[in-house]
Amino acid sequence: MNGAALHRVRIPRGTVPSVMVGSDVQPDQVLGLHRRPGNPVRVLLATRLRVRPEAVASLLVARPGARLAEGDAIARGADGREAVAPTGGLLLGVSVVDGTALLAPLGPEEPVIGHVHGRVRAVEDGAITVEVPGTLVRGVGGTGEAVHGELMVAVHDPGEELRATAIDVGATGRILVGGSRASAETLTRARAMGVAGIVLGGVLDKELRDFEAIQRRRREIGGLSGAFGVLLLEGFGKVGIDPQRFGWFKAHAGRMASLFGTDALLYVYDATSAPGRRTLPRVGERVIAHRRPFQGRAGVLVAELDDLHATPSGIATRMGLVRFEDGRLAPVPLANLEATLPVPPSA
Amino acid sequence: MTLEQPVAGVTRAAGEQSGPAAELSLLVDVGSAWTKAVVVARARGRWRIAAHAAQPSAWGEEQLVTALVARLSSGADRRVADRLADLLATAPRIACHTPRRAGRIGLAAVSAELSGASARRAAESAGWTVAEAATADDGRPLAERLAALQAADVDAWLLAGGFDDGEATQALEMAGLVAAARGASRTPVLWAGSPGLVDQVALLFEPGAVEAVANPRPSAGEDDPRPLRHTLEGLLQQLVEPGGVRQLTPVSFRRAVAELARSAERRVLGVDLGARYASWVLADETGTAESRVFAGGGLSAASLVGPGGPARLAKLLPLAIDELAVADALQNLRARPGTLPQTEDELAIMHAAARQLLAQGAAEEGPISGIDLLIGSGRTLAAAPRPAQAAQLLLDGVRPLGVTELAVDAAGALSPLGALDDAEIREGLGMLRDDLLTPLGAAVVCRGGRPGGVAMRVTARRAGWPTIGPIEVRSGRLQLLPLGRGQSAELEIELEAGVTLGGPRRARRAQATVTGGALGLILDARDVPLTMPRRADDRRAVLAGWRDAFAREPATPASGEQA
Repeated sequence: MNGAALHRVRIPRGTVPSVMVGSDVQPDQVLGLHRRPGNPVRVLLATRLRVRPEAVASLLVARPGARLAEGDAIARGADGREAVAPTGGLLLGVSVVDGTALLAPLGPEEPVIGHVHGRVRAVEDGAITVEVPGTLVRGVGGTGEAVHGELMVAVHDPGEELRATAIDVGATGRILVGGSRASAETLTRARAMGVAGIVLGGVLDKELRDFEAIQRRRREIGGLSGAFGVLLLEGFGKVGIDPQRFGWFKAHAGRMASLFGTDALLYVYDATSAPGRRTLPRVGERVIAHRRPFQGRAGVLVAELDDLHATPSGIATRMGLVRFEDGRLAPVPLANLEATLPVPPSA
Repeated sequence: MTLEQPVAGVTRAAGEQSGPAAELSLLVDVGSAWTKAVVVARARGRWRIAAHAAQPSAWGEEQLVTALVARLSSGADRRVADRLADLLATAPRIACHTPRRAGRIGLAAVSAELSGASARRAAESAGWTVAEAATADDGRPLAERLAALQAADVDAWLLAGGFDDGEATQALEMAGLVAAARGASRTPVLWAGSPGLVDQVALLFEPGAVEAVANPRPSAGEDDPRPLRHTLEGLLQQLVEPGGVRQLTPVSFRRAVAELARSAERRVLGVDLGARYASWVLADETGTAESRVFAGGGLSAASLVGPGGPARLAKLLPLAIDELAVADALQNLRARPGTLPQTEDELAIMHAAARQLLAQGAAEEGPISGIDLLIGSGRTLAAAPRPAQAAQLLLDGVRPLGVTELAVDAAGALSPLGALDDAEIREGLGMLRDDLLTPLGAAVVCRGGRPGGVAMRVTARRAGWPTIGPIEVRSGRLQLLPLGRGQSAELEIELEAGVTLGGPRRARRAQATVTGGALGLILDARDVPLTMPRRADDRRAVLAGWRDAFAREPATPASGEQA
């Protein structure tokens, strides 16, 4: 897809935005500042107000969720006595059993980065919407955080596996375009080398799970730094990137891109339209097959069969006859085919 | 407005074109992955299903009409055959659709095992997905819990905790945490905890923000999530689909099943298994229905691909397919729900996934027994390549104890009909009663028995046909007997000691009248839940044996023969 797309950047509630509607933002720009609450402290309210604990709730002048500065009143008694915040923080709640309040001091300001380039269109509690003037490539899966970096093609052939040995310091900070799969070892090495993200045609679910488990463990023991994302374009298993798409990536090597693994999105800036896809291909169109036994293979739809035909699994459905690029002719359910649309001439 | 009236509209439209009148109507169910359409037409004074088709939802309406025209053209009157596309395009339609998105809820509770589990079950069975959950015993520091709640993108908050007769300071602390995380947003808050804390919880939020609901966990031993579920259903409809809920498939499916149960005076369990959603509806003879809607309970359920999911599923396969291939197939099903399993292996994986999801749903429902009719809906169940596969999916997944007739909603007409007005549903279902469901047969499912020993003896008396049996069915086995569609039989069932059909008392003998279907009569002594050998080879052999038993042509064994 080319042209602008609206991208919603999630921000933690309580973040103070540092941009406004109409602001132009860069991928590494700070969109807001957030202060994480720290371990809470108990503030004696009932004792200070000289009331019974159960009466405290009705004497609150600040509601849970309120940000208090040091000295701000939390509760006020009928006689004018006040219980104040001993330190600045977020009021979490009160206990009617012991008449105390929980106040979480706020930590240092942390920047919230959007990882996208574009113009801010809306600022809400919990999200900032940015109009992104990039070409959007949608994947079918992924993992990891939002990242950005220059595109770099790391394999020679779209069906080639991205191997750990192909990743060196030159890949640091880049988004690598791999081939048909990458092992958990490769993904782990890429992250360790400071690679921002990886785009793959396919990956074995097991490898991705193993990689996620390694990251989780490293996060738990505190040894994880930097963000990393993986985007999957075609499917799970060993599936190469469609050569047409691969060619487009090669043509755009060096361009800045934003990758959102969990949302399975990639924006490439200053790019021509990416080769598109359409369900329900027409006879004569180039197609790509999904699901086994032809998953990831490209060919040409040479005919649509009349009536319904049964697949080897026994499901009666509309079928097309595909001449695959390796010369094989095979019937494939139309539901399992997508037309690969050529890049428009203007691109 | 009755179903006849829009059809009359078509008659006029057709008349305007100076051709013969064609009375037809279109029922459409737009799913998240596949759209099902049914053409209903009046022929010789009777309304019948004239054609049906299904296609990926992304293909659009024009293709759907083309497919229906292709199905209709061979049997259509020559005088209207050329105008079928126009007639369908202008035909009155009754449509329903899967909710465009699930509601996201943030959950805070005292205990993950008690209040948290009850509240989560209620939310997940009311069509919500739990976007973030925090409990006082989740082991995280309070600051981390708060940060997670602050980052959650939710439509509503659900607070639970505290028994009805106890103090629950932790519940109040969790409520405070949500109040802090929610900040200035105006998302609704449900309090489903101790009723004694309602006022104190309400004080933590702005006036009117908190709605109190009956505690789903009033004591350690009690668990009743129904009132909370009903409130959550209402809230979801109000927040996510404010335009009207009757056209939502989970709602219309419930209405249709309830009406079927009422009109037939039978206990009906309907299961609609889709790509994203799974709906369970249990309706009694009065038409009172209780439903559970799982927004993430369809074939793209996260539970299938979560830790240990593919390994569990691989154990349910009659074929030797490794866990890695199972995991990839499940992920591809999630990534591209509109595609079809082309190979036998992929179909086996999809069917195993369906059985697993049904079994999970049945386990939440508790032992399912005393159901007169079990209906399978959704493409995986209702459009399984062979009736034997559909029957096995339903029986293996749901394990309905007792004597139950099985049917599938093959055309996908039930849910659209449920989107009609109250008065019209009855009429619509009544008019199409002969075509609506495809009967698979009747099943006798028992529980218990000694391994390898005889579990039950069944005699089937069919009017005008020789009596079958008594057939002895051993524990762990199943037997299919011939009983054609529409043919009824009187069953005499004798149970061995320790074997039950799930009734309230442990009777050794039972009688039932059943009607047959594509598979006939299924005598199933495989226990509830299914018991399988632990060794992989043995388990696969047993699973393959069951699969083959379902696929085999029903035969009449000699009297006293054992299965």
